[in-house]
Amino acid sequence: MPELFIDGIRYEYEGSPKLLQFILDNGKEVPFFCYHPSMSAPANCRQCYVKVGMPVKDRETGEYELDENGERVIRWFPKMQTSCSLDITDGMVVHTQETSEEVARAQKDTMELILINHPLDCPICDQAGECPLQIQTYKYGPEGSRFEVKKVHKPKRVELGPRVTLDAERCINCTRCVRFTEEISETFQLTIASRGDKNYPITAPGKPFDDPYSVNTVDICPVGALTSTDFRFKARVWEMNQTPSIDITGGKGTNVDLWTRDNLVLRITPRYNAEVNDHWMPDAGREAYQRFNEKRISRPSIKIDGDNQVKTSWNNAIETFAETLEGNKPSDVVVIGSPHASVEENYSVMKFFSTWGVNNFHFAPHIEKGFGDDFLLTDDQAPNTNGVKALGIDESSDLNAAIKSAKVVVILSDELIDRGAIDASSLKGKYTVLLATNESQTSAAADLVIPVTCIAEHAASYVNVDGRVQRSFPAKETKYSNRKLNLEMSEGRLDRHGTYFDNWVTEENKIDCIPAWEVVSKLASRMGLDIAFDNSREIFEEVSSSVPLFKGINYERMDEENGVQLTGNSKEEVTA
Amino acid sequence: MSDWKSYTPVLIPDIPNLHEINVYVKNGGYESLKKVLSKDWTPESVVNEVKAANIRGRGGAGFNAGLKWSFMPKPDGGPRYLACNGDESEPGTFKDRKIFEYNPHLFIEGALIAAYAMQVTTIYVYIRGEYRSWILMMEKALKDAYEKGFIGKNILGSDFSVEFHVTGGAGAYICGEETSMLESLEGKRGYPRVKPPFPAQKGLWGRPTTINNIETLACVPLVIERGADWFSGVGAPTHPGPVLYGISGHVNRPGVYELPTGMPVLQLIDEVAGGMRNGKKLKGLIPGGSSTPILRGDSLEGVNMDADSLREAGSMMGTAGMIVMDEDTDMVEMLWRIAYFYHHESCGQCTPCREGTGWLEKILLKIKNGEGEIRDLDLLLDLTTQMEGRTICALADAAAWPVRHTINRFRDEFEARCKQSTFALA
Repeated sequence: MPELFIDGIRYEYEGSPKLLQFILDNGKEVPFFCYHPSMSAPANCRQCYVKVGMPVKDRETGEYELDENGERVIRWFPKMQTSCSLDITDGMVVHTQETSEEVARAQKDTMELILINHPLDCPICDQAGECPLQIQTYKYGPEGSRFEVKKVHKPKRVELGPRVTLDAERCINCTRCVRFTEEISETFQLTIASRGDKNYPITAPGKPFDDPYSVNTVDICPVGALTSTDFRFKARVWEMNQTPSIDITGGKGTNVDLWTRDNLVLRITPRYNAEVNDHWMPDAGREAYQRFNEKRISRPSIKIDGDNQVKTSWNNAIETFAETLEGNKPSDVVVIGSPHASVEENYSVMKFFSTWGVNNFHFAPHIEKGFGDDFLLTDDQAPNTNGVKALGIDESSDLNAAIKSAKVVVILSDELIDRGAIDASSLKGKYTVLLATNESQTSAAADLVIPVTCIAEHAASYVNVDGRVQRSFPAKETKYSNRKLNLEMSEGRLDRHGTYFDNWVTEENKIDCIPAWEVVSKLASRMGLDIAFDNSREIFEEVSSSVPLFKGINYERMDEENGVQLTGNSKEEVTA
Repeated sequence: MSDWKSYTPVLIPDIPNLHEINVYVKNGGYESLKKVLSKDWTPESVVNEVKAANIRGRGGAGFNAGLKWSFMPKPDGGPRYLACNGDESEPGTFKDRKIFEYNPHLFIEGALIAAYAMQVTTIYVYIRGEYRSWILMMEKALKDAYEKGFIGKNILGSDFSVEFHVTGGAGAYICGEETSMLESLEGKRGYPRVKPPFPAQKGLWGRPTTINNIETLACVPLVIERGADWFSGVGAPTHPGPVLYGISGHVNRPGVYELPTGMPVLQLIDEVAGGMRNGKKLKGLIPGGSSTPILRGDSLEGVNMDADSLREAGSMMGTAGMIVMDEDTDMVEMLWRIAYFYHHESCGQCTPCREGTGWLEKILLKIKNGEGEIRDLDLLLDLTTQMEGRTICALADAAAWPVRHTINRFRDEFEARCKQSTFALA
């Protein structure tokens, strides 16, 4: 196997990797700015310099020439090389800044030059704390600056588009954003204008940067030049906690991170998953954070005196629910599952009602034709359509007909009236129970509304359009404390739990809701049915042992493999 | 060369209206093309002849043109390109436009021979945008050559076909760098490309491409007509051939002079260019365009205009665009102006050049205004090492060299311009 030596350590490699990527993959570090693993390497920041040499081979025998100590004779490249653009070849010898004074000096020199025209306004810059320029200046930069003349001034606070703001003075011209629009989103909306130290990225005159993936440029910007218009000045990155999750606005199941502070989700950023979304996410998914904070249903509500909906206690809500069911025959009840809810929620609700005797289960896929592209946007507007299908719930094109003869309609977390899957008039004369996360026309029409946790508050799994099951983690707490739920919280969260540095210090933003499976458990206990779900992990294990498509899958595997592809008898079965 | 007056120009011969195709043909034009398209010459033999002639690239780098041609991969049926570099934007350089103006068909013929040698399918000539009139002249010359059947399908009845296009630049010095010229030809922003891959492997639109200077290609028909031995016998043995000296600055008769390489520098200034203006003393000479290191006027004895002699003297041949400066020249002002040029022309792709050129210029401005300090000179020299060899193309080198060498060779003048130290030494 071909070999190379980095800082005196021998490595073997396969294929034809670029040197920088190979160094990073092997847990070593070389500073860089312009390079991005998913895009071309323009080698323009000149930060990833390394010293490279090749062993001298005897022309006739093809053997390596050895010096008097028996070491290979190395012919060094006359200039240092940018490791991002350099192909590894067999026998290559590399010195990084760790073993070469020359390389360390070159990197420091480049850092000094990058910083001379940079405003160094970290205290008021949104990027501070997650800024590669800041981090690398601390690690590899010079102690001070010898720059004593006037800095270049460029446009600031430029509204590039509806979601991205540009500060051209902070820009270090790495061209990542330009390459993103050329190579990834392919809208070609950005280019570099002007020349030399006056240049900066901009759109064509009069054209907005309205790329449906525009905010990804904010994520990849290695400085604070591009900032999210929505998020800027809202929070410092070190004040927030980062929790892995799934995008709920589309069927692609884009992997995301939820950034929370004081039980509010403040922003959503993409999380790398080579199988699903690479490093990217559509802008639409980022706006979903508002759903987790605003217009949440907190405490159950019940309709009294006609259409007057009032808050009520949990006991009363469960009691009313149970009495309503007991006052009707199972055959008079229709249960509507939801592609917007997780596998666990759909399963637990279905399990309860089928045990009680209901056999009328439906759901309506949430499709908007023409919304998708061939990248990360899908016609499917719900994160779990395939998960509901895999559980065997009937897909119904006309829910109005399906509920016509029912006396009680139970709806799981789906804004059916708002999205036109059901007419408000169809619910007239029926008793409607809605398990919901947010206020909507549907919740206003329901007779009993029971608040349930949203994806930011529970651990649950979702199956995307390609039949890949992935799961979420609780990112914020609910009013009601649940040890099992809290155990699923990320490590960083647990470390701070209850301490002075805990970002969940106030009760203000906690929602009074419980997971759907808790609702079902309470109801079962009240009605004397032998169903009790403790936590979603157990529910998924039950799903895995009873539903063939989920066989052999559990949370551990999902965490380890970053989501697991369902394996059915055919692709159609998996993604039907 | 003592009898330089007896030299007969061959690149720009003294023939009236030579730019007209009929005059050119009457004077033996396109005969070399006919010769190589006849049965006796294969593409390989043309390449070998040119390689043997040792035409060293006239664009500045001085690389053997025939050797460069031999880097082209074997034809695979796809398009191959020859890109002729007439961007000529280096301050002090104005030779190629004389070819466009007075002998365009010599260049066209040379490009066609080169195209045949490398089995090229399309030729582009890239002319700097400011040369508007010369672009029009080239367009006229190409149109005439198309009409006479020297360009196009089955040239002169052979099975060799080639297309030939003129493209104008848009005012960027960087587009004279070969790979950013390719970007510009493709209609993109003129950013130099990372090498490897070299243009011979992946050039225009990812296809094999060779880039040659206009003057280099104009030498080619002469090599074919008179033989490699004749060419390599003219001028300096290691850097042979006729060359266009573009002499500007404080001389009595500035202009473009065609003479063999290896001419003594002082002879070029004193005799060819008519001596120093107003009888002033020679203070400095930039031998080959603004990026080549300046030489002190008192160190020019025995220095000849060829690569080896100039390297020994501490400079380079470049484009042979000589800038002559007399004793009244303010070296600080001159260097600031050169730094200003590179600051203005840096494309801004690589950090050391984008930031470094601006920094150099600003410090020099400070010194020029009498606000500099001695330590600024050391900072300037430090910066040149931070820039040199650390960028994709050679513009950072071109910006760093004049600064380093002008300061080193005229340091007293720079120190005199700086503020005196406030800390008196006992």
